[in-house]
Amino acid sequence: MYPSVSGNIQKYVVHRIGMPSRDRSFVPPCQATCPLHMDIREYVDLVAQGRIMEALQVIRGGNPFPSICAYICTHPCEESCRRSQVDKPIAIRALKRFALEFGGDRMIQVEARTAHSEKVAIVGSGPAGMACAYYLRNFGYPVTIFEAHSELGGMLRVGIPRYRLPRDVLDVEIQRLTRMGVEIRTNTRVVSLDLLFDMGYKAVFVTIGAHQSLRMGIEGEDSPGVIDGATFLREVNLGLKPSLGDNVAVVGGGNVALDAARTVLRLGARKVTILYRRSQAEMPADPAEVEQALEEGVHIQFLVMPTRIKRQDGKLNMTCIRMELGEPDASGRRRPVPVEGSEFNEEFDTLISAIGQAPQTPGDFRVRIGRGSTIQVDPATLSTNRRGVFAGGDAVTGPATVVEALAAGRLAASRIDDYLQHRYPSLDKGGRETLVGDLLPETVEMIRKIGRIEAPLLPAEARIKEFEPIELVYDWEAAVNEARRCLRCGMGAEILFQDKCATCLTCLRVCPYHVPYLDTMGTIQIPADQCQACGVCIAECPAKAIVLRKPYDRRHVTEELDHVLKSASESKVSPLIIGFCCQYGLFGTGTLANLWRVAKAGIWIVPVLCIAKVEADHLLRAFEIGAEGVFVAGCGEQCARENTVAWVHNRVQKARKVLSEIGLEPNRLQTYVPSATNAYPAEWLDGFVEQIGGLYLASVIMKEVKVDSR
Amino acid sequence: MIVAEQKPLPEIRRMISPYERVLILGCGTCMTVCDAGGEREVSFLHNALRVAQSKGGNEAHHFLESTLKRQCEPEFLEMLVDKVGEVDVILSLGCGIGVQAIAERFPDTPVLPGVNTSFMGISSEQGVWDERCAACGDCRLEDTAGICPVTRCTKGILNGPCAGTKNGKCEANKDMDCAWVLIYKRLERLGQLEKMRRYYPMRNFRAIPRPKRLVRTPVALGEDDG
Ligand SMILES: Cc1cc2nc3c(=O)[nH]c(=O)nc-3n(C[C@H](O)[C@H](O)[C@H](O)COP(=O)(O)OP(=O)(O)OC[C@H]3O[C@@H](n4cnc5c(N)ncnc54)[C@H](O)[C@@H]3O)c2cc1C
Ligand code: SF4
Ligand code: SF4
Repeated sequence: MYPSVSGNIQKYVVHRIGMPSRDRSFVPPCQATCPLHMDIREYVDLVAQGRIMEALQVIRGGNPFPSICAYICTHPCEESCRRSQVDKPIAIRALKRFALEFGGDRMIQVEARTAHSEKVAIVGSGPAGMACAYYLRNFGYPVTIFEAHSELGGMLRVGIPRYRLPRDVLDVEIQRLTRMGVEIRTNTRVVSLDLLFDMGYKAVFVTIGAHQSLRMGIEGEDSPGVIDGATFLREVNLGLKPSLGDNVAVVGGGNVALDAARTVLRLGARKVTILYRRSQAEMPADPAEVEQALEEGVHIQFLVMPTRIKRQDGKLNMTCIRMELGEPDASGRRRPVPVEGSEFNEEFDTLISAIGQAPQTPGDFRVRIGRGSTIQVDPATLSTNRRGVFAGGDAVTGPATVVEALAAGRLAASRIDDYLQHRYPSLDKGGRETLVGDLLPETVEMIRKIGRIEAPLLPAEARIKEFEPIELVYDWEAAVNEARRCLRCGMGAEILFQDKCATCLTCLRVCPYHVPYLDTMGTIQIPADQCQACGVCIAECPAKAIVLRKPYDRRHVTEELDHVLKSASESKVSPLIIGFCCQYGLFGTGTLANLWRVAKAGIWIVPVLCIAKVEADHLLRAFEIGAEGVFVAGCGEQCARENTVAWVHNRVQKARKVLSEIGLEPNRLQTYVPSATNAYPAEWLDGFVEQIGGLYLASVIMKEVKVDSR
Repeated sequence: MIVAEQKPLPEIRRMISPYERVLILGCGTCMTVCDAGGEREVSFLHNALRVAQSKGGNEAHHFLESTLKRQCEPEFLEMLVDKVGEVDVILSLGCGIGVQAIAERFPDTPVLPGVNTSFMGISSEQGVWDERCAACGDCRLEDTAGICPVTRCTKGILNGPCAGTKNGKCEANKDMDCAWVLIYKRLERLGQLEKMRRYYPMRNFRAIPRPKRLVRTPVALGEDDG
């Protein structure tokens, strides 16, 4: 009568049982922007849960020298962070620093063993060279770093001042490199690559940075008392104390100018003035650092340019001209134009010019040089015009950033590996898609606003006395609260089983952020760029058609329950009490951690990533595996959503009805949310345990009475 | 949509008590939408029965879960053939139609209703459903401004309102709107008040033959292409 459709059964059944184990989340903008593509969302989330060691592991997995980035990364990730559409971006760099310090990064050992015979030479020991050495050692190649200076680190050593990057941090990372077996030749300036090939190296990575300061091109530039920024910083960093006098000018508006000016202050000069030819808005330096410099007492004169220097009576007499902003130039910034007749003279003891640097490649390297004296490479393979010669870092890009240099080093290591193994370069195709699209105003409106917590700084007066690191690390509570602000972009809910969706519209009705919508075809859509991954719709969906995009999130509660079941059955302590506790915030910062600590034998905690994800099913399952009492403990006022508890109450009510229907006391199942009026968690838990203990005793007696009377 | 309510747990436990292996069978359409028997409820009931069993019950059931897209279609039921062989009873969370479809398809296996099929209605807000249609087979909504007196008037009168209407509410239940006042207001709004003045002859619902059957007359191919 009816055609058989048994052929379809398989598919249908498989859908129901099997959940794909693939990560279906989108790459969040922070990760997409990071040159190293670090899994920021993941480690920020781990910090929010207080799982610092795991956060550290994730960080180490994506960055060869995270402790360096933790201090001085220019954090492009924060620029693209979607939280800034709500209030302020997540303080990603500061959180990384926290994870490294509290996770015990210094104790971590890295090892490598040699698996190949082809030797690789790295010219220059800046971050690009170090990163390349790190990964090549991991691949098993013998690696030698050649460095012109007496110490390793490139600009990390001779450029960036100690107050921003303490040298022991750099030293620890370098020690790891040595321990991995990287051979190091300091005080060795390489002048010819042929020599390296003659020495038996099969490939060379050129990362000589951009150390040649650009000239201002004005009269008197070579007078004594005029020094360029890179040289000045190098001298200070290598332990010299150049005599500067009392009144110092710094020309330029980038990081080097700022670092030079702040270094001058720390060397004891009375007054230091930065002269910048555009306005504050165009300054390439990090605004936070400009702010800090101003606090420390650095003067900045905007829209001023020196035109002539004359040395008179041991002082520099400088003629400057005022500027105004004209049309935007190629960089998009407005071009400064001199204001006619606005010249003025000022006297300084020393002038530091920091208007930029360029690479200076020895001619005998015979690599093709392009614009701005940079080495030309194929961007996909970093190979130069010479066979076996690769280049990267500032030498290729011009002055850039540490994280870009690290990424170039990592890329070079893979490409050199390909080259040495005669493989076609395995260009990654980037598995997952990047999340695009801004938050809608309606979504933003529903997101709770929580201000960014900045890492504390030393007070300005204390900062300029010496070269101590100026930024302090978060305490536990600040870090966890800051990390909780992350929106977990791209890992939200999706209707994985469209054929199961009954289009009941529950998700559309319950979503606290009004994310799901009906498209013109009448199909429910949950746009990934709006979903906040709260999980409310997942627990409420009557068809169980919605899941979280990350496999771990999907399995989390069930797996933890299984785990409890196993451990509890081994311990055999009665009565067994199971608590579903929010793992965010409180869990790490103390209150809920107390639950753990005071938890008497017999109490098992199922950590959950927001109690909104606890389903009525989970509650019943806890009873089924033998719990005499079950509670759900949320973080209360810290929750990212206001109505989480209402949802949990509904589910608790539903499960309680079952308890009473089968003759159990409904108060065996309770919710606890800390608040000003509630008992302190430990106290509350004591009360609950007592109650359950009583009920348990009564039920045991009842059973015995029943047995006796038989 | 058909609206139902899951039966109380004790009743379900009593029904399944003679059987050892129980297939809890959900329905992916109306029963999912009205929260009575979708996949989530199947799983919840399953858990509830297991808790009952582990907490002192003397039963020793073995449960199986499954949810079909619709229980009222033979093709979907076909998918159960293997499973049905493994169980002693089917506890259907489908509406009464689903239960009977199962009974027809699997003559040798007992089937139990897990829900009370209640009415046909709409969801007025999240978690609330209201009856709207009695499937009387003789629709008069044209004359009553799209508001059904048969289901929404307590007395089901066709020429209302009765004398018991008060402040727009029904005398039988002061929280309930009087359907005929609703009809009046809407007709007024549509400028069709004259429909109120007409008399509608009574219908003898008992005389409507049950069970009803509907046979769509086949149209010969090409006939209506002009
Ligand atoms: C003052 C200052 C502050 C900065 N602040 C920041 C910051 O806060 N955040 C940030 O991300 N970036 C910052 N930068 C930029 C960052 O330091 C550089 O982008 C990065 O160091 C580039 O790395 P690299 O490996 O390409 O080159 P470099 O770090 O410049 O290293 C190149 C190395 O090669 C060596 N070398 C050169 N020629 C030879 C040769 N022929 N033989 C052997 N060795 C040779 C050099 O001595 C040097 O050690 C700053 C730069 C400066 C100058
Ligand atoms: S909110 Fe979190 S996941 Fe989203 S961009 Fe910012 S740090 Fe990344
Ligand atoms: S997971 Fe939360 S935010 Fe995302 S669609 Fe579901 S209810 Fe809305």
